[in-house]
Amino acid sequence: MPFISKIERQSDYNRFSSSTPIVIDNGASYFRIGWAGETEPRVVFRNIVQRPRHKSTGETVTIVGDHDPALLKYFDCTRSGPRSAFDSDVVFQFEIMEYILDFAFDRLGATGSEIDHPILITECVCNPVHSRSKMAELLFETYGVPSIAFGVDAAFSYKYNQQRSVCDKDGLAMCPGFATTHVIPFVDGEPIYKGSCRTNIGGFHVTNYLKQLLSLKYPYHLARFTWEKVEDLKMEHCYIALDYVSEAQLFQKGMKEAEEKTKMWQLPWVPPPVEAPPSEEEIARKAANKERQGQRLREMAEAKRSSKINELENELRGLEFLLNQLGHFQESDIPSFLAETGYVSRQEVESARSKVVQSLRKQKGEQPESEKPDVPSNEKYTLINIPDDMLTAEQLVEKKKQLSLKSMSDGRQRLKQKRQEELQERVRKERLEEEKHSKNPELYLEQLRARYKDLSEKIDQRKRLKTNGGSSTNGNGLAGSVGRGERLNAAQRERMRLLATAAFDRGKGEDTFGAKDEDWQLYKLMSKDNDDDDEEPDEDTTELARISSKLQALDPKFVAAGTSQPAEAPRARPLTKEDFQIVFGVERFRCPEILFSPNWIGVDQVGLDEMAGVSIRRLSCKDEKLEERMTNSILVTGGSSLFPGIIERLEAGIRMIRPCGSPIKIVRALDPVMDAWRGASAYASTPGFYTQTFTRMDYYEKGEDWLRNYQLRYSL
Amino acid sequence: METEVIEAELVLPNYLSFKRIQMYDKYPKGQSRGRHWKHLKQIIQAENYQNYPPDEPNYVNIESPPSMHPCKRICDITGYEAPYYDPKTNLRYANTDVFKMIRALPNDNVQRYLSLRNAAVVLK
Repeated sequence: MPFISKIERQSDYNRFSSSTPIVIDNGASYFRIGWAGETEPRVVFRNIVQRPRHKSTGETVTIVGDHDPALLKYFDCTRSGPRSAFDSDVVFQFEIMEYILDFAFDRLGATGSEIDHPILITECVCNPVHSRSKMAELLFETYGVPSIAFGVDAAFSYKYNQQRSVCDKDGLAMCPGFATTHVIPFVDGEPIYKGSCRTNIGGFHVTNYLKQLLSLKYPYHLARFTWEKVEDLKMEHCYIALDYVSEAQLFQKGMKEAEEKTKMWQLPWVPPPVEAPPSEEEIARKAANKERQGQRLREMAEAKRSSKINELENELRGLEFLLNQLGHFQESDIPSFLAETGYVSRQEVESARSKVVQSLRKQKGEQPESEKPDVPSNEKYTLINIPDDMLTAEQLVEKKKQLSLKSMSDGRQRLKQKRQEELQERVRKERLEEEKHSKNPELYLEQLRARYKDLSEKIDQRKRLKTNGGSSTNGNGLAGSVGRGERLNAAQRERMRLLATAAFDRGKGEDTFGAKDEDWQLYKLMSKDNDDDDEEPDEDTTELARISSKLQALDPKFVAAGTSQPAEAPRARPLTKEDFQIVFGVERFRCPEILFSPNWIGVDQVGLDEMAGVSIRRLSCKDEKLEERMTNSILVTGGSSLFPGIIERLEAGIRMIRPCGSPIKIVRALDPVMDAWRGASAYASTPGFYTQTFTRMDYYEKGEDWLRNYQLRYSL
Repeated sequence: METEVIEAELVLPNYLSFKRIQMYDKYPKGQSRGRHWKHLKQIIQAENYQNYPPDEPNYVNIESPPSMHPCKRICDITGYEAPYYDPKTNLRYANTDVFKMIRALPNDNVQRYLSLRNAAVVLK
């Protein structure tokens, strides 16, 4: 890991005289502070502040930088996450900045009543004067700093590398940082801000992109992807492809190189204990148990049945006795006799008896008395064939009755016949399929399966259509394209639409509702019963059920799609090692690629390679020799330039936009992360540094306009 | 406070001798002070860059212009080159397998994929 915080308190603060400047590299990701003239900063920490609440005492405390997460367990960090004083490299929250400076000076070992050292602090290119003056105010007023100088980190890095002959006095500094990427042209060793450009993409965006992609890809391991972990992954595994498209094709085609480039992160995983297969005894015991239980159930059912039969027989006996008794009575005495029993007439008693007989038969498992075959004779309908004029009025009525009776029985007959035919057809089909099966079981199964698949897909499709509705059912196409996963199905939606139009469409012009009969159909459509949810299972569904039952009988491996809940299935599967693997393939170069294609994350600005061209164009020096000198000394610095492959990619990209044959030389800074601070430290230790600082008096006398134009001279 | 927390000097002390004005004096406890800082947008607004000559570099005009190159379209899910685009979800995709997948995605995830490239539907 390239970044490590250094936060031990320094003890030699008092060794430095008050003329030794303190150098601060106030970067958006890391804060570095140290003494001018030294090669390493004394204190380095992440430029963030957390204000959690102490769990036991409840007081809000301030924690600056990164700390051992084990110590944070005493604090309640849920309410406030880490906060930064920066927005796109500009300091805007000075309360947070003050906490950071407090911590930095404290760890530098500051004592005494104020910070009695000149300060050189970095800022972004063309920092707004508001931010600059607030920073100056904070340092002067709160810390009692005698004098301040502001400089740009990328420029310090360029100067530092220039002094070590890594780059020339004319050149370009490209600095992909944490929140932004800057390109600054240098002419004669001085940065020309007129030609600089800034794209708001940096390491933060790369990490964030990776984090989002991983959490979308592995939603189950969401908790693993903390910011710090993803940042580590980015630094360890990400690289920049020389040509994104061809690199992605390697992965798409599953080439061997791609396999080698794919990294895997195995999350801790404990294999579940393997269950020993049950022993013979166990199986036998279980079977016996099951058998016993079955026996008991059968006995219970038997007992229940016999008691029911008993009951029915008793009732039958009672009724028969009653009928016997009735035989002895006169017709007129019957009602009074029956009053006690609850029956009204003899017929009623008889019908009750026949009912009991029927159910008794059913209980005993006998066939119910089959319907007496209708006598297909015309004797019953004697009057039908006689013309009307030959009949009396009474006979006419009788004839009508007979006619309707006849048509009814005819209909019954026809239905019966049809049923019979259907049955025969089914049997025939069955036999046919049986034949097919016995001839070629494999082929037959295959056909069945194919048919099953077809049908289930068809039904699924219909179901989906019903819930989502065709795009034509929606009045406006836009709502149709956006609305996925709506809660209403198509019919319900249509109903809502009708209701809404009915509610709001009245009163416009003449109300002609009701003029036509069809208008009233509207209410039918609106009514809730219109939902055809409970529609009868159609042909396809019954066919599907038939096939699936057949398949179940023939194919032991077959699992019907409907019977096994798809949500249940993965849970039932034991988790394997593979479920705990995070695979980085394309992500390794997809994420840093946003430095070159910012529009992938919705930032409509040029990427790193094009920025060089933009910068040279903005400089508009009209001097080809100078342009050539500049492209011959391109320095890449900043934390995000650590990605492997960035130099080669930049060279290819810049070659494309520069005239053919122009010299291009791109170098990485000696230490892209630390060089800004080192350059600043070297700069602050030169005797000329004091000509570039300003004091509190200067600040208040010269005013804001002067501060706006304040600019450090880097070559002293 | 726990001893290990104190030993690690995790918590920033309230009083620091080198400060002229302490934090608790500047921001007294228990007083609501509203928001006392400006957002970057407000800062830029207040800078009144329009009053200065346009060739003078400032924070706004050094921003990079939009790219002149045709934008590379990649599959939102896999990162492969994406020749296709799904008008229903607005996602770009590389092949039929991915298409099947995006049609099965819940709307929530579709919006999250879209928001990665700042193309999600933002409800206000």
